[in-house]
Amino acid sequence: MFTRNLRVFFRRYSQTCTFRTSELSPAQHSENQIGMFYTIDKNLCKQLFGHGGLPKSYMKQTKTFTETTLMVRLPALDIMNCIKNTDFDKPVVRYVLYGEKGSGKSLTMAHLLHYAHEQEFLIVHVPWVSEWLRRVPRHKEMANSPTREGFVDLPLDAAAWLLHFKTQNQTLLKNPDLKISKEYTWSKRESTAEGAPLLELVELGIARVKYACDVIDALVYEIKLLSNNKRCKTFVAIDGFNTFFYPLTRLRTPTKRTVAPEEVSLTTSFLTLTKNDWTNGVVVVTADQLAVPEDHQESYLPKYLLYKKGFEHLDPFVPIEVGRYSEREFLTCASYYRDRLWLRGPSELEDELKFTSACNPYKFMELCAPL
Amino acid sequence: MSLFIRNYKPGSVYNAQIIWRYHSNKVDMAKKEEEEEFRVLDILKTRTRLQKKVARRTDIQPDRSEKMKTDQNWGNVWPGPRSFHPSSVPLPMRQGYVPKGQAPPGKKANAELMKVPNFLHLTPPVIKMQCEAIKKFCTPWPELLNNEEAIEKNYPVEIITSDYCHASPTIRNPLSRIATLRIKLSDLKLDKHARDKFLRLVGDKYNESTDLVTITADRCPIRKQNLDYVNYLLTACYYESWNVEDWEKDKTLEDMEYYDFDQNPSKANLVSWFMRVSKKGDLSDEEIKVFDINNIPHGPEYKKAVSDLFNNSESDQTLQDYDAAVRKLLGLPEKKVAQ
Repeated sequence: MFTRNLRVFFRRYSQTCTFRTSELSPAQHSENQIGMFYTIDKNLCKQLFGHGGLPKSYMKQTKTFTETTLMVRLPALDIMNCIKNTDFDKPVVRYVLYGEKGSGKSLTMAHLLHYAHEQEFLIVHVPWVSEWLRRVPRHKEMANSPTREGFVDLPLDAAAWLLHFKTQNQTLLKNPDLKISKEYTWSKRESTAEGAPLLELVELGIARVKYACDVIDALVYEIKLLSNNKRCKTFVAIDGFNTFFYPLTRLRTPTKRTVAPEEVSLTTSFLTLTKNDWTNGVVVVTADQLAVPEDHQESYLPKYLLYKKGFEHLDPFVPIEVGRYSEREFLTCASYYRDRLWLRGPSELEDELKFTSACNPYKFMELCAPL
Repeated sequence: MSLFIRNYKPGSVYNAQIIWRYHSNKVDMAKKEEEEEFRVLDILKTRTRLQKKVARRTDIQPDRSEKMKTDQNWGNVWPGPRSFHPSSVPLPMRQGYVPKGQAPPGKKANAELMKVPNFLHLTPPVIKMQCEAIKKFCTPWPELLNNEEAIEKNYPVEIITSDYCHASPTIRNPLSRIATLRIKLSDLKLDKHARDKFLRLVGDKYNESTDLVTITADRCPIRKQNLDYVNYLLTACYYESWNVEDWEKDKTLEDMEYYDFDQNPSKANLVSWFMRVSKKGDLSDEEIKVFDINNIPHGPEYKKAVSDLFNNSESDQTLQDYDAAVRKLLGLPEKKVAQ
C-alpha cells in the first residue's frame, strides 16, 4: 500500500515538472515556461475576473478543476517584453490581439491583466464589448443621454462596468494621489468637488445609475490626465473591440430605430481612451470574429474585422497573433488534462485528439469534455 | 364555153400551173390523180409507225481535256477563279455520294464538283509567277526592323484578323469580319489621371499581367468597317481619358482605386504621433499633407507596409511586414519567435 502511494506520488511529481511551473508571477515568465501552466491565486482571480473577463466555458472548467490555471504562451510574453521595453513618456502603444475563434485571445488578455495588476497598473478592462452593444436581454436599460444630444446611454451596463473597475483596482484606488482635476456637476444637488478622490467618482456612478455613463466619460478623461501627470500608469484592455466599428448594433431606440455604435455614449468614451494622445499607458484590444455577426466573420485578420475606420483609429498598432497550440503546448495541455483526470485512456488518444481538434485550444477543450 | 364549164373544177387553173410545172413528171401526175379519190374513214386510227429518225452523225470534236498537252502552261488554261469545268481540267476527278461499292460519278455533269470552290488557279507555279510579277512593286524589308522588339517599338498597334479557308458553297466566313486591335498601355502617352481614366473606360479589356489593351469589334458586317471602328474606339478612349470633367473633382477617398498613403488618415496618424513623440505642437491638416515622411525614422518603411496591407489585401505576410514596421517605428523589440 505504501509503495503504491509512493509510486503514485512520484508519478504525479514527475508529471508536475513537465506541465506546471511554480513561477506564479507573470513578470517572471520567460521562454522557458512556454506551454506550462501557472496557477492564479483564488482571491486575486475573484478580484480580477469576478465580473467577467474569462470565457464562460473556461470558468466552468476552472470550477471543475478547482483551480484557475493559465498557460504561458508566446503572444502574452511578447507583449510583456514590449511593455518592459516601452518608453512610457511616448504616446501609448496599442496592441491588437487577433486569431482564429477559440485560439485563446481572451485568456492571453487575462494573463496580461494579471501581469498589469502585478505591475501596479490602473486596469481599465472591458470584458466583452458585445455584451453592451450586441446582447439584448429582455429588459435592456436604455435611455437618451441627458447631457449629450443624440446619444444613447446604457446606464445599467455602465454601472456594472464601474463596479468591475472598482473591484479590479480596489487597492490602487485607495491611493490618495488619484484626485479629480475639476468639479463635475451632475444635478442641482449632486456634484463631485475638485480634488475629490477618484474612488468617489466611481462610487457615485455605481450609486446613481442615471449618471453612470457620464461618470465613465469623466473617469476616462481623469485617467488620461492622471497618466499624463505620472500619477499612475494605466493598462487598458478591451475584449471584442471590433464591435465598436461594426456598422450597426442590435440596440433599438423606443422608436424602433437601430442604433449605430457611434451613438452609444460608452463607445465614444472608450474610443477616446484608445487614441494615442496620452502617455504612460498600455492599450491591448482584441479583434474577435465572435464579436460581430456571422456575415462579417470571413477572416480573422484585424484589418478585416476592424474595418478601415477601426484600423485608422488604432493605427499604428502592433498586431499580435494568437495561434493554435504548438506541438509542445498541446502535449502539456494534454498532460494537464490527464493530471486533472479530465482525460483518460491510452496515450494514442492524444494523436487522435490532436488531429480532430487541429490544435485549436477551444476545440481541444470541448473534445475532452465527454472523455 | 360549155365545154369549159363542163370540165371546170375549182382550182383547175392553179392545177394547170402545177401541170405546167410538173409537165415532165408523169408519175406525180398519176399520184395526184389517186389522191383525188375519196378518203377512207379510218376509225381505229391505226397509224403506220413513223419511221425512226436516223441519227445524223455529226462531226463531234474530242473533249478538250483529252487534247491538252502534258507540258502546257496551266496558268493560261485556268487563269482565274471560276467554278469547275470538266472539259478544262485534264484530271480524272470523281465526286459525290453513292451507295457502297459503287464508284463516285465522274467529272462530267457533276454538280458536286461545281458546288465546291476550287483553287485550280492557285497552283504553286502560278503563285510563284504572280509573286515574281509583283515583286517589282515591293520594297525590301527594313533592316533595322530585324527583331521583335524593334517591330514592337516602331509599330505598337497590332491588328489581328483571321482568314478562313474551307470547302463550302461560299468562300466567305462571317468570322473573318472580326478585327482585334492590341496595344501596350505603356506605349500610350498618359499621365496619372489619364491612365486611371483610360483603364476605367477600357474596363476588362486591359490585361494587367501583360499590360495589353485588347479591343475587339465584330458588330459591322465587313472587316474594313470593324477595323475602322476599332481604331475609332482607341482614339476616342485616348482623348476622352485626357479630358477632365467637372464632376471628377468630387472623387473622394473611398472612390480611390488604390490606397494612397499620403491622402489617408494613416499619414495624419503617423505625423501627429511623431509630433507628440518629438514634443512639438500639433500641425494643421494642410501642414500634415505636406509633411515629408522621410523625416520620421522608419517612416518610409511604415508607409510601404501600410500601403501593401491595403493594396495587396490583408494576409499573414503583409501583416507580418506591418508588424515589423510598426515595431521599428515605435522602438519596440522584435517579435518573439517560438524555438
